[in-house]
Amino acid sequence: MVSSAATRARPSLVRRVVRRNEFYLFLFFVAFCALVQGVSSTFLSLENLFDVTRTSAGFAILAVGVLVVLLSGGIDVSFFAIAISAQYGAVKLLLALGISNLAMAFLVSCGIGLALGAVNGLLISAFRLPTLITTLGTQTVFHGLLLTVLGSRAINSSDLPHCFLSFSTANVFTVARPDGPPLGLSVFVPITVAVYLLTWLLIRFTKLGRGTLAIGGNIESARRMGFNVPLIQISIYSYVGLLAGVMGVINVALIRYVTPTTLVGSELDVIAAVVLGGARITGGRGTILGTVLGVAIFEVLQTSLVLLGLSSFWQRAFVGLIIIVGMSITAYQTKVRNARNLVFRLE
Amino acid sequence: MLRTLRAVLARNPNNAILLAFLVATFLVLSFLMPGKFLSLRNFQSMGSQISEFGLLSLAMMLTMLTGGIDLSIVAIANLSGILAALCMKRLIASGVWPAESLLVVAVAVAVALGVSLLCGWVNGLLIARVGVSPIIATLGGAALYEGIGIIVTSSRGIVGFPDRFAFLGNGFLSIFPMPFAIFAVATAIFALAINKTRFGQTVRMIGANPIAARFSGLNIPRTLTRVYAFSGLLAGISSVIMMSRSNSAKSGYGSSYVLLSILIAVLGGVNPAGGFGTTTGLVMGIFVLQFLSSGFNIMAFSPFTQNVIRGTLLLAVMIVGYLLERRAGRVRRGHGRAPARVNEAGEGAPPPAGATPPAAAS
Amino acid sequence: MTATVAVPSLLEARAISKAYQGVEALSDVSLVIRRGEIHALVGENGSGKSTLIKIIAGVVEPDSGEIMFDGRRRNEGLDALGAIRAGIQVIYQDLSLLPNLTVAENVALPQVVEKGRKLINWASMRRVAETELRSIHADIDLDAVVEDLPVSSRQLVAIARALTQGAKLIIMDEPTTALTKPEVDALVVVIENLRARDISTLFVSHKLDEVLRISDRVTVIRDGKPVGVFAGRELTTSELEAHMTGRPVVRQRFETTAQASGSPLLELRGLTRQGHFADVSFKLWRGEILGITGLLGSGRTELALSIFGMNPADSGEVLLDGRPVTIRSTEDAVRCRVAYLPEDRVLQGLFQSKSIGENVVVTVLDELRGALRLISSSKARATVDRWVDQLRIKTASSALPVTSLSGGNQQKVVISKWLAIQPQLFILDNPTVGIDVASKAYIHQIVRDLARSEMGVILISDEIAEVLGNCNRVLVMREGRIVREVRSSEIIEEELYGFVSGNAS
Repeated sequence: MVSSAATRARPSLVRRVVRRNEFYLFLFFVAFCALVQGVSSTFLSLENLFDVTRTSAGFAILAVGVLVVLLSGGIDVSFFAIAISAQYGAVKLLLALGISNLAMAFLVSCGIGLALGAVNGLLISAFRLPTLITTLGTQTVFHGLLLTVLGSRAINSSDLPHCFLSFSTANVFTVARPDGPPLGLSVFVPITVAVYLLTWLLIRFTKLGRGTLAIGGNIESARRMGFNVPLIQISIYSYVGLLAGVMGVINVALIRYVTPTTLVGSELDVIAAVVLGGARITGGRGTILGTVLGVAIFEVLQTSLVLLGLSSFWQRAFVGLIIIVGMSITAYQTKVRNARNLVFRLE
Repeated sequence: MLRTLRAVLARNPNNAILLAFLVATFLVLSFLMPGKFLSLRNFQSMGSQISEFGLLSLAMMLTMLTGGIDLSIVAIANLSGILAALCMKRLIASGVWPAESLLVVAVAVAVALGVSLLCGWVNGLLIARVGVSPIIATLGGAALYEGIGIIVTSSRGIVGFPDRFAFLGNGFLSIFPMPFAIFAVATAIFALAINKTRFGQTVRMIGANPIAARFSGLNIPRTLTRVYAFSGLLAGISSVIMMSRSNSAKSGYGSSYVLLSILIAVLGGVNPAGGFGTTTGLVMGIFVLQFLSSGFNIMAFSPFTQNVIRGTLLLAVMIVGYLLERRAGRVRRGHGRAPARVNEAGEGAPPPAGATPPAAAS
Repeated sequence: MTATVAVPSLLEARAISKAYQGVEALSDVSLVIRRGEIHALVGENGSGKSTLIKIIAGVVEPDSGEIMFDGRRRNEGLDALGAIRAGIQVIYQDLSLLPNLTVAENVALPQVVEKGRKLINWASMRRVAETELRSIHADIDLDAVVEDLPVSSRQLVAIARALTQGAKLIIMDEPTTALTKPEVDALVVVIENLRARDISTLFVSHKLDEVLRISDRVTVIRDGKPVGVFAGRELTTSELEAHMTGRPVVRQRFETTAQASGSPLLELRGLTRQGHFADVSFKLWRGEILGITGLLGSGRTELALSIFGMNPADSGEVLLDGRPVTIRSTEDAVRCRVAYLPEDRVLQGLFQSKSIGENVVVTVLDELRGALRLISSSKARATVDRWVDQLRIKTASSALPVTSLSGGNQQKVVISKWLAIQPQLFILDNPTVGIDVASKAYIHQIVRDLARSEMGVILISDEIAEVLGNCNRVLVMREGRIVREVRSSEIIEEELYGFVSGNAS
């Protein structure tokens, strides 16, 4: 009987849970929430929970898209530019046609997003371009085109088609409160959950999904195994574009305002959350659960800033510090481990 | 003999093409608007603008040579400018030295350079000693440095500097704008360092193969730390010019410069995977972009249009680069350009993708 | 359907010829593999082995000759996929696995992809993986992530994967290079098991003793031409080597004039690094070539890397010329004039994309400085020319990329880069792997000359013959310790092999 080092029977459930990165992320999350709750007792309230989940829905949706790209070993920084373009395009079209239909808004927005994402995918797969620089380029082009062609004027809430406004306040259910208006769990939340679920299913149960991971692991081996690498890459970036389209609509509803000059420039925040959640920037590793935790931790860290009495000016520095500290820990661990095992790797 | 020449040319066809492009752009623009473009005033204006992003491009090239990237150069520049401006203001307000004294200027410059060097050094530590990937380290650094800048200024700009200081960005050395002089000197030192020092050669070798570099006794942590520190320093020099020219220091200035430096570096023939790139190529790239910018401004293109063109140009340059390499039979496999492969059996072209075996000695 | 007469041969490649740009890689070579056979393909580097493999796998098209597989003629034209469908599977040295996915996925995914399914059925994937792994008696956790597994397990995963696509012939390229002795034995069991299932294995290896032990028949080619097919059990390694090189094997011994007196150049006292090696002590005098041999996992490379500064020891002392030194980085090593020729020439020894000249001077950049502490290109050129001349590196210009050189010449470049620092201690780790015969002999000559020039040389090698022929003393390592020291003049190959493999005590 030939045995190997990994021969023993599957370790117990407890051991398997403890070994996973997400466990420690979860512990950290819980600890930090407790800390913040200690400082400001309004933190863990239903009101806050409903509020945070509503405002971070768009962010979370994009995060899962970024995860998919990272899994494939790539990086995409054009998603906000795509979201803004899709959003602007949808609103403008609805206004021009005089329609106020949410489904139509989603359709147009997602369509634009899908198309723009496909452009990314095509460029990267057809010409084997480095993903960071390529999406930096398309980000500039998409955003620039939007501003040039569609103009840079903002659209106020009073001018928005009504469907967005009603979408903004739509709730799944409400909880009555003795001392104020009822609290509602926004419709954004189940949409977010659905997106996460769908992504999980796609990654886990489709050939495309496994192919994404395969490319992130070793693109040449994936090719040799017969995976259609260009198709997978185009699909990945199109999917991100699609999600950006979804986010675009939600974003309009959330802030009740359409301006092409927001969002672009804060891509780092989303990437940071995903990377915090354990996804490797070099590709091939990362989980949906990790992304959920990463986004949760990120949001909590941000809200806690306000509650801890720090002005919003501190936000950016805080984000940077989180990334640096978080990534330093994992990077150093890997470095020490590789040195110990005399592993030499080209990046 | 002919084989040697061909080999050397083959390694730098990029510069030849770039030169042609540069000359063509110059000629086209001169032709289209001779009065406006071919004027001393325009040249001086270009010379002045060029230094801001030119220095940043040098910084970008330096880190790209090692196979890394520095996405925090603009943030470092802004922070350096902000802190320098604050020091200058405080110093003047305290009344210790007269506002127009040289000392005030010297302090401002010293602070800017010092802060930028420190920020770059921190980046270098993270990348070289802790092992964080350059993308993450410099993205995080960018956020941190920008964030500190925001905190310190409460998101407001600092304006109004002494005339003495303004000379750095607006003055002239005979017919040459001062910034251009600074840029020229910096570029000359840079070129010398890259091509003729042990440091420069070490940088290239690390970029070509960091593992072999280690196995050859090169000190990678020290060199990489210095690379990012110098990248920061160059950003610091740029910040002095930016501050002086705009007479203000604030967070978020010049955010498009990151993309621009990457574009210039790629256009100038710097291989993002590391190890290759010439200062000549970079400088030509800088000039091309400056000519284009000036041309756009004269033709009154909106900044948005200019951005679109730049983004498209970046993509186009990379696509063309890929197509050229494929024609030469050197398809990239994720780690940058594969050199022409001639193994013992004399095989020239790589076998088709599909069931391609890895290159192994027979 | 007519009853088919059992065709004895699974693969018949006849009169295969292939030339690249006028240079003949293969000339009228034949290879016949029977069903249920373990067959080895053997030849020196440059003999055309890999070209032949590529032709069989359908990746490269032969200029002439024909291939019959499983009773059917193989089509003209490149058909790598056709080869796979016909039942030919190649396992390359890198195993081509997906490191971030599980064992089950690595085994079963190719089949899923091939069948064109869009959805993943995890239960069926696990079943497939489990079946194949069990069929080769490999007990590996299906959910283990491949990159966490040792190489031997990964190899089994690769084999199981090959089997899921109905392989009838599995071609393995240097399968035992990264395996320890017990792992090699385990692999042999698997291959023999495949044979019992009528699945043939063709493996390419330069480890002649294993080749003869494992294979039923051996095909030898030399310089692209066929030499013959032999039964594995009827040859000795010397005979096999003679067939490969075309020359009778001459066993030389290295005689040193070095006196084992006075202060040794290098002394190790109780050097220990947990998990790598323990309590290593020995002395090396100038003018000696000390061999260190042992199976993979014996700690020899780890020890060498430790002396070189890449793998600092936890405890123990290293003394150079009687004085203790602390070498904790390769920079320190170079400063102490300790040189190390790495095992992996391609990744660790050379800067592939750089020129010959740049590769040669990379270790002595300091010394190339002239006026103003800037690198003088004339000094650089002089240094490069000197070494190209001295080591007879065949090239038209030192500005050419180093990949334009043959393997042997590339190794000379790596050697010259180290000679440039004028080392006092030179450690060579398997320096002649993957090198053609002529260059191999030349490199041995260089090594001996080094010793004669008052350098201390440590030669690490798997090849007993190489070690005995070029070293005056040999240390045998096993499981991180030195278990034996012998004088090469007092021992014969078989004995030393016994010590290494642990069969003798």
